[in-house]
Order: sequence, then structure tokens, then C-alpha cells
Amino acid sequence: MNNKVRELRGEHGWSQGDLAEKLDVSRQTVNAIETGKYDPSLPLAFRIAKLFRLSIESIFQPGKD
Amino acid sequence: MTRLSKTQYDQRVFAAMAVYVALVLLLLPQARHAETLLPRLTSSLLPTAPMLYVLWLLGKRIWQSDELEQRMHLIGLGAASAVVGVFSLIGGFLAVAKVVPHDAAATLLLWTFPILMFSYSIARTWAARHYGGGICEETDGIPMHRRFLVLTLMFVVIAAWAYFRSNDDVAVGVFCGFATGFALAALILALRRWRQSKHADR
Repeated sequence: MNNKVRELRGEHGWSQGDLAEKLDVSRQTVNAIETGKYDPSLPLAFRIAKLFRLSIESIFQPGKD
Repeated sequence: MTRLSKTQYDQRVFAAMAVYVALVLLLLPQARHAETLLPRLTSSLLPTAPMLYVLWLLGKRIWQSDELEQRMHLIGLGAASAVVGVFSLIGGFLAVAKVVPHDAAATLLLWTFPILMFSYSIARTWAARHYGGGICEETDGIPMHRRFLVLTLMFVVIAAWAYFRSNDDVAVGVFCGFATGFALAALILALRRWRQSKHADR
């Protein structure tokens, strides 16, 4: 799955630690999501979408597989 | 419930491990020589108290983790269960076949918990690396090379105790081997950390 989390975080001027704190997850989880190594659960995806005031599908897009 | 920081968790685990080692070395030998049941039970079961505390800490930490961390804990515990299961099965078969004496089999059982925790740490570290983390990139908690240094010191104490108290050459050799292995790991990790900090400064 591809996502725009890093891009959106950059636009808000937040560090990975800042975003992790806002989402109540670890910095490593934010890093894993941004690098595409981990796809978040639906509740976490909703939290991310709510934080950036966007829809889930505008942040997360299905990958090739 | 207050979230336990990684440093707090590490410090408490190492303190519990130190208490465990001390209890095993000081109390367990007395269990065989105690004449009545109560002191025998007390001296043989008291070392489980710090281990139960470590399990409670681990459970608390997993409970407070986020979803990715919980997945990594699950991978670690799954792999550790498999390793311990195979280890126990092999030990059991060897004891049934009398390849190892029953006394040695009982000693092997004492290693179940340390092997469980060690395999869990290795598997969890592998999972963390798989998801983009690394053993030398930790920003919180006690640095890995210091953890290995503490383990080295613990095994040096155990080896010294085995040398002076039990005079068991095999046990002294095994404990010295563990101490050397952990010391080497500490050295390698400290060097890696130093090199990484040197590159980061540039």
C-alpha cells in the first residue's frame, strides 16, 4: 500500500516524534508506516485521516500487489 | 495506568535479574540441605518471585504498546515458544533415553526461562529490524551494549561463585564462555554505536 503520510507530515512541519505523540503510537510505527513497511489497522488509518482532515483513500492508495 | 518508559522497564528488569541471580546462588544450594519442608520450599521457590515480576512487567509493557509493537512482541513470543518447545522436547527425549542423567535434566529445566527470554529478545530485535528499526538505532532505554555489559558482569559473578563454591569445572567453563560472548557482543555494539555517532557528527 502506498501512502502520503510523510508528505502530509512535512506540510505540517511535524517531526516523526510529534506525529507519533499526536497518534499515540511509537516513533518507530510512524517510520514503518511512512516507509511502507507496515500498513496501519483501520482504526489507526482513521486516526491519521482525522488528524490531517482528509479521507482515508486520499492518504492511502492500494499498491501493485 | 501510567505508561512505563523503556528506560524504567530496562532498569526494573535488570534489577529483577540481579535479585534472581543472587537468590539462585545463595538460596538454591541450601534447598537440598534443608531438613524440613518449609525452608526447602522457601529456598527453592523464592527465586521465581523476581521472574514473576519480570513477566508482569513484560505483560504491562505489551498491554501499553501500540499495534506494531504488539505485533513485534507476538513474533518474539511465538519464536521463543517454538525454541523453548524444541529445547524441552530434545531434553526430555535425551532424559528418557538416559543419554543425560535425570539430575542434568532438572538443571536443563532451569534454563527454560533464560532461553525463552533470550530467544524472545533475538526474535523481537529481528522483527524490529524488519519494520525499519535496529538494535543500534534505539533512542530510548538502556543502550544495547550496556545491557550486554550488565549480562557480562552477572556471568562473571556466577562464574566466580561456581569456581569458589562448587569447584565444578564444566559449570565454570560454561559461565566464562557466556561472559566472554556477552563481553564481545558489548564491545562490537559499542564500536558500532561509536562509529555511527562519529558519522552523524560529520
